[in-house]
Amino acid sequence: MLFFSYFKEIVGREVVVELKNDLAIRGTLRSVDQYLNIKLENTRVVDQEKYPHMLSVRNCFIRGSVVRYVQLPPDGVDVELLHDATRREARGG
Amino acid sequence: MAFGLRIFTQRTSDTIAQPILDADNGEVLMHTQPSVSIVLGNRSPESPGTLYISSKQVIWVSDVDRSKGYAVDFVSISLHAVSRDPEAYPSPCIYTQIETGDDEEEDEDEDEEQQEIMDWSSGISKIKEMRLVPSDPSQLETLFEVFCECAELNPEPMLGEPEEEHNWIFSADQLNSEALGEDASNWTFSENLIDSIGHTNGDNDLAHNVLQLHINDQCFEDAEEMDQEHDKNNSHQ
Repeated sequence: MLFFSYFKEIVGREVVVELKNDLAIRGTLRSVDQYLNIKLENTRVVDQEKYPHMLSVRNCFIRGSVVRYVQLPPDGVDVELLHDATRREARGG
Repeated sequence: MAFGLRIFTQRTSDTIAQPILDADNGEVLMHTQPSVSIVLGNRSPESPGTLYISSKQVIWVSDVDRSKGYAVDFVSISLHAVSRDPEAYPSPCIYTQIETGDDEEEDEDEDEEQQEIMDWSSGISKIKEMRLVPSDPSQLETLFEVFCECAELNPEPMLGEPEEEHNWIFSADQLNSEALGEDASNWTFSENLIDSIGHTNGDNDLAHNVLQLHINDQCFEDAEEMDQEHDKNNSHQ
């Protein structure tokens, strides 16, 4: 549940969600649930020429299982803290 | 697991479009939306029809020909959104992307155009985009929220299992501190960031454990790589 908790911390920040089908969507993180389903607002497709049909979309719901990466706001990440917490979670802490 | 869009024919009778749901497995009807057109991939809109949203799937049945219907499980819907810009699509709609379970990159656009002269039911398992266009655009927000609610009811079967493989013991100290009722499920990252690293509940043994983890950096990095490999393999299935 570590990343669920972490993502809740950065609700309201801008992220880029990269899907396994290579679509990348920039937007404001509106909410996240325990399955890491992600709701974005004010979305923009990163590669608009390749995905013109997504231009109009202003908010969307992305299924957690299709997310490959989430690019985080650099100042929203305490790398050391997240590192330690990740290790902690990995050993069942 | 069945991926993608499929033909739907399980209606209660030929005169009533109401779909038969898998009540034995807890499937219930969440929302019914009359007067909805459906657009599959680059095909022409089909209309009108009735949209049935159950706790497991999205079903569209034509009002004109009730033998004609489509269904897609929520586990196959990668993304859904409200689309309002007339440049992207002439009518406001719910836009969805469908996971087909077919990794091969085919030149779908050309395939689609050729298929227009073919039977309506051919090739639908390869459809990757579906638009649902309600005649009443004010229903879009409601539909979006229903989709969100149902998506959350349908997590990946694998992720739905409780995590049971995290019972590793790294040190004798851990045996003491973990056994004394420090329940993993009660631990939240957000509430107490500083205290959760090394000083939970004033238990100094944990700080000791964190130091040990630093010593073992190398083996943890290996573990991360293995996880990535694992993910990569999964995504190619």
